[in-house]
Amino acid sequence: MDPYPSSSQIAQKTWELENDIVSVDTPATSSSADAASDAIFYYDDVAQAKFQQEKPWANDPHYFRRVKISALALLKMVVHARSGGTIEVMGLMQGKTDGDAIIVMDAFALPVEGTETRVNAQADAYEYMVDYSQTNKQAGRLENVVGWYHSHPGYGCWLSGIDVSTQMLNQQFQEPFLAVVIDPTRTVSAGKVEIGAFRTYPEGYKPPDDPVSEYQTIPLNKIEDFGVHCKQYYSLDITYFKSSLDSHLLDLLWNKYWVNTLSSSPLLGNGDYVAGQISDLAEKLEQAENQLAHSRFGSLIAPPQRKKEVRALFCCFWIFKRYLLNMRACHECFYFFITCKVSMFDLKSKSCVISDCPLCYPLWSNLFLV
Amino acid sequence: MASSSSSGLTFKLHPLVMVNISDHYTRVKSQMNPPVTSTSCSNTNGNGNGAPAPPPRVYGCVIGVQRGRTVEIFNSFELLYDSATDSLDRAFLLKKQELYKKVFPNFYVLGWYSTGSDAEESDMHIHKALMDINESPVYVLLNPAINHAQKDLPVTIYESEMHVIDGIPQLIFVNSSYTIETVEAERISVDHVAHLKPSDGGSAATQLAAHLTSIHSAIKMLNSRIRVLHHYLVAMQKGEIPYENSLLRQVSSLLRRLPAIESEKFQDDFLMEYSDTLLITYLAMFTNCSSTMNELVEKFNTAYDRHSRRGGRTAFI
Repeated sequence: MDPYPSSSQIAQKTWELENDIVSVDTPATSSSADAASDAIFYYDDVAQAKFQQEKPWANDPHYFRRVKISALALLKMVVHARSGGTIEVMGLMQGKTDGDAIIVMDAFALPVEGTETRVNAQADAYEYMVDYSQTNKQAGRLENVVGWYHSHPGYGCWLSGIDVSTQMLNQQFQEPFLAVVIDPTRTVSAGKVEIGAFRTYPEGYKPPDDPVSEYQTIPLNKIEDFGVHCKQYYSLDITYFKSSLDSHLLDLLWNKYWVNTLSSSPLLGNGDYVAGQISDLAEKLEQAENQLAHSRFGSLIAPPQRKKEVRALFCCFWIFKRYLLNMRACHECFYFFITCKVSMFDLKSKSCVISDCPLCYPLWSNLFLV
Repeated sequence: MASSSSSGLTFKLHPLVMVNISDHYTRVKSQMNPPVTSTSCSNTNGNGNGAPAPPPRVYGCVIGVQRGRTVEIFNSFELLYDSATDSLDRAFLLKKQELYKKVFPNFYVLGWYSTGSDAEESDMHIHKALMDINESPVYVLLNPAINHAQKDLPVTIYESEMHVIDGIPQLIFVNSSYTIETVEAERISVDHVAHLKPSDGGSAATQLAAHLTSIHSAIKMLNSRIRVLHHYLVAMQKGEIPYENSLLRQVSSLLRRLPAIESEKFQDDFLMEYSDTLLITYLAMFTNCSSTMNELVEKFNTAYDRHSRRGGRTAFI
């Protein structure tokens, strides 16, 4: 063995230090450590009933702050969400509470689809839910339903207007209840799980200002729905847990599916989604440009320079749109974009042809040359 | 009891099934032996906080799809089985089947699972009981004992075959090989939980680091496997190991596939994809730059603008 730490080890240690990684040391053959990590699986119904009666959340709308999701629940939810393709799917989650954390142990799918237009989708699924819960109790899963999840394929993790009203209803009658949203399309294209857990504020409650969360792009057709309701709910931190047997199995599983990691290519798998995103971006830019050109102060402040910026941005949109047209024509055209010649109007000469060189050099030069 | 299967069916197992079985087992085990820290637990076990009771065997059903000779196991659910009376709760099974049919209409009952270290005689009863649902069910056995030294998944798949033993035709279990099959979304979430990456959308740098780490480990794995093969071939050449023709055939077929990536078509495709990625990055960076540029120009205008202000306040430079 190398006496000096290799550069990769140094890099790893630096990364761990920078990100405050706290590793939970589980000694290999200690059964007490196994018991500790598996303790979360024990369902103590006496403590749970007591908690239900106390209702500490009734006084504090921001009571629950964390969510712990089990490996099994996550896997089931993501697979179910992905299997729906572009249709929204939904299901319920079972679990328990633990102080200010909601623990999700399992999830199951509901046989309803397309919930965006139906507020009472859950009413249809009640019979299914009751049957399923009964069979589960017999089979040894004692937890109660503690939330619901649904998917937003391709348009991000947030609660729409209907979701907000459904969740508010749930929080009145079925406390404690949690809403989880999964985006399977973004999961596959980004390579990391897109998931968000939310709880709504009660009607009329004004929340203290949230710190700005990480930006996520939302398609234009949904952005109004997002904006109107985004202050009515807050998101909870999500952590995951797994049992010792799960970790063991997953470690061994790695030996088998490392091939899939290498052979996966998000570009190939999600071509339509990428096209959609780019078209959406182009539309947003166009809207921004329109607002810029028509704003009241636009005509007062330095018109020539403003026009130049507008035209510069417009050229940008033009390129995006041209790109987009090619993509819409056919999937393989994605690859032909590079080879097709894009002509664009620069500000001096009327046309120039770009093949693969810095296509924005004329733009830059014109922006700087006053 | 277990010899190699000869039915020619190929089995594909999804990781979800394994996590399901493991979760079922952990739940039952944990409910039987409440954790030492809870003081108000109702201990029906009678063992107290001393040595935990031997972990029970759990039973369940596996469901999936069978297409031709390929059996793909997607999901599973629990079964109620009373080992004292050797009876399977039929009503429960039917109810569960119905529920799962509503959500996953394509899946059929393919067999059953259990935990333990080896297949036992009593398992044959359950196997026969399930034969009226599926004429040749599969039996998935998971060994829950955690042994850090083992490199292989502790999951075995058994099929039943009719063999003549001592003049009596009997059904016995035979071992079958299987592969792990996964869809992209499943792989990502399994990967996510396996390495417990930061999930709160940490900075782009950590996400990138995590992604690159996983690619790096995959490549390292590939490298180590190729190294093993290389050593093996060298040893064979030196004569230390007897020739094994089937292995040599496989290696040569693998090598024959390699030149395919030297062709011109591949270079073209590769370069196109490469330039695509570069272009996207470039466009994104460009948009960023124009917005910064825009801000700069705005600030410039606000500071040094002469035209908009009426009432003679000249700009100071």
